[in-house]
Amino acid sequence: MDFTFDMLRSYLLVGAALTALGMLGFLARRNLIVMFLSAEMMLQGIALTLVAFGRYHGNWTGQVFTIVILTVAACEASIALALILVLYKRRSSLDVTLWREIREPGQPEASIDLTEEAEPVEAVGGPETYPQLIPAGIEPDHPRDAWTVRRD
Amino acid sequence: MNRDLILAVFVVVLGASGLFLMLPHKHGLAKPRKAHAVGAGLAGLALLLFASYWSAPGPWISGLFFYACAAAALASGALTVTSRDPIHSALWFAAVVLSTSGLFLIAGASFLAVGTVIVYAGAIIVTFLFVIMLAQMEGKAIYDRAARMPFRATWTCFVLFLGVLWSIFQIPPAPAVNGAAADARLPRTGELVQKANAAGRTAVGDVVARAVRPTARIADEEGRVKPHVAGLGETLYTDHLVTVELAGGLLFVALVGALAIATPKPHARPTASTPAANA
Repeated sequence: MDFTFDMLRSYLLVGAALTALGMLGFLARRNLIVMFLSAEMMLQGIALTLVAFGRYHGNWTGQVFTIVILTVAACEASIALALILVLYKRRSSLDVTLWREIREPGQPEASIDLTEEAEPVEAVGGPETYPQLIPAGIEPDHPRDAWTVRRD
Repeated sequence: MNRDLILAVFVVVLGASGLFLMLPHKHGLAKPRKAHAVGAGLAGLALLLFASYWSAPGPWISGLFFYACAAAALASGALTVTSRDPIHSALWFAAVVLSTSGLFLIAGASFLAVGTVIVYAGAIIVTFLFVIMLAQMEGKAIYDRAARMPFRATWTCFVLFLGVLWSIFQIPPAPAVNGAAADARLPRTGELVQKANAAGRTAVGDVVARAVRPTARIADEEGRVKPHVAGLGETLYTDHLVTVELAGGLLFVALVGALAIATPKPHARPTASTPAANA
């Protein structure tokens, strides 16, 4: 099947969109794990671009470099997750904004107000919202009067 | 080309506003579920308009497969980035990996498709899930419900995306002719040799013919495509042998590094002879 220029263009567009989405997740989220997942998504987009170009120009280099990217992603995942575990042990939180003091000496700290920015949690209904089941079957014999006399 | 670019700006604006609404942060007094739904609608509309740029690789099944995988990749990507629960993010990322694996399959990279599923979805995402289980907050953590500078982040990323779209759209759309003339817009490396030697052997043609080694080409001299894993293995171990060895070394170093970082260090016990505090 010939890999036309239009197919190449489609692949490049999808790869670019995936990379942009990954970058958005990396910049916008606070959870260390979701940030790292977004970085991996950027790598997936780039891998799509590489494979498309390699196939278009008729050589294996795109796929070979994607294999290298796969290897690098695996190494990056292992080390990043080890670091995340260490950071979690220090502060008991996966929040990246707790580590804001690790920055260049002259830079001002970003102002973040969690209570103002966090979206409100939707309240989950209590037992009164549980579904009411229709009773099925024959009602067994059961005393309808309260226990007033001790039965032995 | 102008029409493409105008539609691209529209797609970018729609997608940016949709993703901004879907990201977790406070939207004034609006209920989060409603903002989420509106954002999802806008982003879905942007995805549909974006899909009008794509072209199917083949008539029936392959075209449908391409559109399904590409749309699933982008939708799962948007959901990965905006999920409140990190476990949901990991699972949506697994969907992204499966979709890109399907796209690799159509592009003729079947080994990569299988390798991506095994390594990414099978190893990396499983490791993520284990770490999430080790490091999870019971209940919804407040930092999962607040994004860092969502407007600036969305703006930056979508402007970058628009720039990439602009550079891709520099090559004009196809003229109505079929065959090799339509692909003269972006010359393939394989065709450069033919072009240079069009009127007989030239020095430029010889140099270009030597520039791409025969083991690195997908098709051999008669134009037949090499068997997939055999050809990939051949180029890996002849043209890129040093790369393979370095990749192996990198994996080893990463293994040692991860063990060194993650292993808990025993507390230094103060001995009787050293009163000074040791870290």
